[in-house]
Amino acid sequence: MFCSNPILIMNSDDPLPSSKACCSSTLGPALGLLTIRIWLGLRALATGIEKFAGSKASEAAVLIDGKPNGYGLTESASEKVYGLSHYHGIPEGLRSAFKAEPLLPGFSLDIYDKVLGPALIILGITVLLGILPRLSLFAMGLLYTSLTFGLILLKQDAGVAWLAIHIILIAMALIYSDRDKCVLLGRKW
Amino acid sequence: MKPSLAQTGSRRDFLKMGGLVGAGLVLGAPSILRAATGQSAPDAINVGFIGLGKQHEVLFNAVKNIPGLHFNAVCDIMKNRVGGAFSRIKNAFGNQPARYTDAEEMLAKEKDLDAVIVATPDFWHSRHTVWALESGKNVYCEKMMSNTLDDARAMVAAMERTGKLCQIGHQRRSNPRYLFTLNELLRRHRICGQIVNANGQWNRAVGSSQDIQVKASILPDKETLLKYGFGRPGKDLTLEELQHRFLNWRFYKDLSGGPISDLGAHQIDVFNWFFGMQPWRVMASGGRNYFKDREHFDNVMCIFDYATPDGGARAFYQVLTTTSAGGGYFESFMGIDGTINISERAAYTNIFREAGTAPSWDHLVAQGYLKRSAAPKAAADSSDAIASYESAAPETYELPGGLSKPPHQPHLENFFEAIRGKAKLNCDARHALESEAPIYWVNPAAESGQTIIFDTEHLHV
Repeated sequence: MFCSNPILIMNSDDPLPSSKACCSSTLGPALGLLTIRIWLGLRALATGIEKFAGSKASEAAVLIDGKPNGYGLTESASEKVYGLSHYHGIPEGLRSAFKAEPLLPGFSLDIYDKVLGPALIILGITVLLGILPRLSLFAMGLLYTSLTFGLILLKQDAGVAWLAIHIILIAMALIYSDRDKCVLLGRKW
Repeated sequence: MKPSLAQTGSRRDFLKMGGLVGAGLVLGAPSILRAATGQSAPDAINVGFIGLGKQHEVLFNAVKNIPGLHFNAVCDIMKNRVGGAFSRIKNAFGNQPARYTDAEEMLAKEKDLDAVIVATPDFWHSRHTVWALESGKNVYCEKMMSNTLDDARAMVAAMERTGKLCQIGHQRRSNPRYLFTLNELLRRHRICGQIVNANGQWNRAVGSSQDIQVKASILPDKETLLKYGFGRPGKDLTLEELQHRFLNWRFYKDLSGGPISDLGAHQIDVFNWFFGMQPWRVMASGGRNYFKDREHFDNVMCIFDYATPDGGARAFYQVLTTTSAGGGYFESFMGIDGTINISERAAYTNIFREAGTAPSWDHLVAQGYLKRSAAPKAAADSSDAIASYESAAPETYELPGGLSKPPHQPHLENFFEAIRGKAKLNCDARHALESEAPIYWVNPAAESGQTIIFDTEHLHV
């Protein structure tokens, strides 16, 4: 990753030994932007991965004196697992509510359901690593806006407010993106 | 799988009742009946269903999980139910069972059936079971065995005459939680000490006890209902009355034993099974308190007396069909050292140790026989508490595990394993009747207000 060290990129012709001033003026915004990107990236990545999470129930024979009992008494255990078979883009509760919304055609819901998880993972990675950071942030903003739209239809005000915080962070990151120094690929984009 | 051919030898000699207690002592023993040998275990067992109502659905939801079965035939006098069962089997297993509306015809034509599951109204149990046994089938029949003792006795006789297996649907007898409680906690470790009282209940709200109603167009016609015994001798019932008797046969004395039989049979069976004997007397009270137009009592309470090797014990049972209050359905065994409340529902199961007086159960917890529950809340001191009235709060425990299947499944598994010759029946007809016989005397005791002291005439099998 190319991470522009603010000290190294100072103009060597600078008449003043102002490395300290320069550092203080660029290091803070750079780290601030990095913090926002890490937050947004991890947030999207973790959310996307969780959409592949499920639980695996298992029954184990109860041990009596250290040996499996002969009566068939069992203890249930539930284990969290990840896998493609557990994928659920839109949570079931929301899905049924969305289906009842005339402004959301059923086919679009199916597409959205399939795309949401992978999109969150991909955008999480690109924002986190700084791959096409502006486009990635913009795409993430659109994704969260689309989620917000659905929640507005369902009158989920708390969810709308929560997503609005994400949008504000994304907007801040985009506005100050020219100060972003940690970019892996596509600095202009 | 071929039907079993051999007849088990000394079955009839197994029990020779010398007296009530003598007979009762074998209540807890499993049947010595086994399926005939010579059957190839891996073969599918061919199964037919007689009676396709609500209880059939309960049984089907359990039996469908058991591997190695093939559902060949379904029978009910109501065509709509036949179609429903046909679809259930076809959807679940892909095969198309033969459809019948007459049980005799089914038994005559379905030569390859190994087993028949009977879930018809009580007054049909005996005939269906006897016919099936005599046509070479093994039978799983729902409890109560019959609405009359004589018909129940005919089932035992048919089982022993034919040498076929006949399991009665007291499914708690195969429930791992009940078996563990009886064999390990009560008998082996005697955690309750001397058991002096048992009590049980099945209380249902008015809302759960209403008449069953189905649109008339899918019900059997008058001729069919009369042919299959839903009429009343000497009375010309209307189609509507006949259909009501068909759907709500549990309300009529000539068709069923009423709530004490429908609900109480399961739990009074547990009393007799756990005590390992029949009671020596019963007293009872009952009334038509809410459903005044029903023939059976809607509220019944009864007390059985037992002469256990540890001393006298009483078992109180109530079945209330007007309120669900009081903690659901459970059986409770109260000893001087502890109490076990057990139920088919794990949520109603609790075990209590008398704090301060009973021997420690810590070693049982360490070995895995019991789990300690969260300590109950201590009773707050208040002005209504009188110290001399109070006992120390008992410690609470749980069973170490549960049943991860529908509650009827282990009993059905036991039946099919017995057909394969790999198990003994947990509740064959003889043992079931030894346990059920006292139940037939609850309604007479409540009707007459007289205590009935049992003799062999009352309880013989």
